[in-house]
Amino acid sequence: MVMTKKPEPAVDAAGEDQMTRRKMLGWLTGFGLFGSAIITVFSNLLFIKPRATYGQPSRFSIGKPESFPPGSKVALEQRRVCIVREGDRLAAISTTCTHLGCIVSISDTGFACPCHGSRYDQDGNVTGGPAPKPLAWYQVMVAPNGELVVDKDSEISQGTYLTV
Amino acid sequence: MSTDSPTLWQSLVALPHNVWRSIFRNPLPSSDLGRAQTSFTNLFLHIQPVKVHRHTLRPTYTFGLGLISLFLFVILTVSGILLMFYYVPSTTQAYDRMLDLRGAVAFGVFLRNMHRWAAHGMVAVVFLHMCRVFFTGSYKPPREFNWVIGVLLFLLTMFSSFTGYLLPWDQLAFWAITVGTSIAAYAPFAGKAMRFVLLGDNAVGQEALLRFYVLHVVVLPLFVSVLVAIHFWRIRKDGGLSRPVEEDVRLQTEPVTAAAAGVPAPMVAMSGGGAVAATAPALAPVPVTGPKLVKRSYGIQGLVRGPFTKIGNVPDNTVFSWPDLLQSELLVFLLTVSIILLVSVFFNAPLEEPVNVMHPPNPAKAPWYFLGLQEMVSYSAFWGGVGIPTIEVVILLLVPYIDRKQVGVGKWFAKERLLANSLFGFFVIVNVVLMVIGTLFRGPNWEFVSPW
Repeated sequence: MVMTKKPEPAVDAAGEDQMTRRKMLGWLTGFGLFGSAIITVFSNLLFIKPRATYGQPSRFSIGKPESFPPGSKVALEQRRVCIVREGDRLAAISTTCTHLGCIVSISDTGFACPCHGSRYDQDGNVTGGPAPKPLAWYQVMVAPNGELVVDKDSEISQGTYLTV
Repeated sequence: MSTDSPTLWQSLVALPHNVWRSIFRNPLPSSDLGRAQTSFTNLFLHIQPVKVHRHTLRPTYTFGLGLISLFLFVILTVSGILLMFYYVPSTTQAYDRMLDLRGAVAFGVFLRNMHRWAAHGMVAVVFLHMCRVFFTGSYKPPREFNWVIGVLLFLLTMFSSFTGYLLPWDQLAFWAITVGTSIAAYAPFAGKAMRFVLLGDNAVGQEALLRFYVLHVVVLPLFVSVLVAIHFWRIRKDGGLSRPVEEDVRLQTEPVTAAAAGVPAPMVAMSGGGAVAATAPALAPVPVTGPKLVKRSYGIQGLVRGPFTKIGNVPDNTVFSWPDLLQSELLVFLLTVSIILLVSVFFNAPLEEPVNVMHPPNPAKAPWYFLGLQEMVSYSAFWGGVGIPTIEVVILLLVPYIDRKQVGVGKWFAKERLLANSLFGFFVIVNVVLMVIGTLFRGPNWEFVSPW
């Protein structure tokens, strides 16, 4: 078989590579193909990351403050928060275990997780088990109609209560 | 001209025979040439070499583990496609469809059993296959890349099984996937985003069910099929199954009489080459070194690595794929199918209560092959769930590029490989022990309990 010999790259007097037409076209082709591949991968990633979710909204009303009498701990299981009220102070503590996302239940000493045995105190501090960090506290606000609104998108520092 | 052409009547009489011969080009072979032609004129048979080394067929060398993995994958594909006819990936319907398999679908429970047990079996057998390849030193050059493909296939098998776990939408499914995807969220940098994309939401729900379904029935099987094809192709291109060097040396140093050296090459006397013969004799004169010892090796046009082509009257350590290899394969297939059928008759796949998002079972356990992982996770979520598994996989992938000494290949537990085999044995034992602890010794709140 006769192979056509590839032309040597043209070198000018100064010893630098000259940009031949073939080389230029090669670069452009490679750039175009590689760029298209990158854009394809990127747009596919954008595609599979949902913009809207169909689950529960992260900001929701939990009713009037009167439904949580002083000294009570009410776990809203569907919402995965526990509403704690001490006197006129009120807070929403997450009941999603920070370990692997199981639902913690209210125990005598605070919270306990059934999956891997993590235990938390009344404020959500870890007292045992593999949980790496304390339970999250969520922002609670009073809406204009007097109802309490929990926003699970904004975590606040532990011990920040809403005075009602 | 016209006298040679068959009449219409003759054509009709010969029709069945002609149709048969147009499909199968060769009659059942009675000669070596026929056996070779049977192999390479058939699309399915030509995937295998015309001849294979005797060592390949030793049952105690491979235990047929790779082949069993393939057949389990075939069983999974067939039973899975059948189950797809009745399954709906919807949180409101999926569980009901599971119940319908019991009452309203002929062989519904049986097919689900087959699918479930074959899936569990495949995870186990693929792992055992990996152990076989390691303990026989079969990942060494030139088979490094095929080992890498194999490790990827093992991970894909686990992931396929994991995605299938969610589909029945019972308590076991929901909480195993909640725990499993939370482990993924511990990965540095992209962990949270990865979990969100995998679930399509912040928690396991309808989006997650749909996504896992698509991954389980289309995406992952597609990747597995492509990698399996590469895996098999590489076996041939890397010189067939691994075997001890002595097997080939003995072949080459066989004394040959002067008269025999002049005998022309047989038409197809190679293992792993296909129909590219007869160019070798022209390459070099036969170098005779020592007293009547012949050391010859011919590459087949550079297509296949290693000394394969045997010229002249050299003793042949190969057997024909048709019928020897094919018989063994058929036997393994029948055994695999029989065992799955038997197990499916006597044991039903578990189905727990329908999903209750509020009440995780206590303890919430992942599938058994992830319980070693879950046990490690109970000590440290990051190290147990992400750190150590990642290190293990990276080491597995790099093994053939680190351990490249050509000793002990093709022998179980070779003395020369004591260190490597001990290390791998330790890795296997630790993981199995963790798995056993997670499965049998962990009770409510993941506290230590005794199974007795």
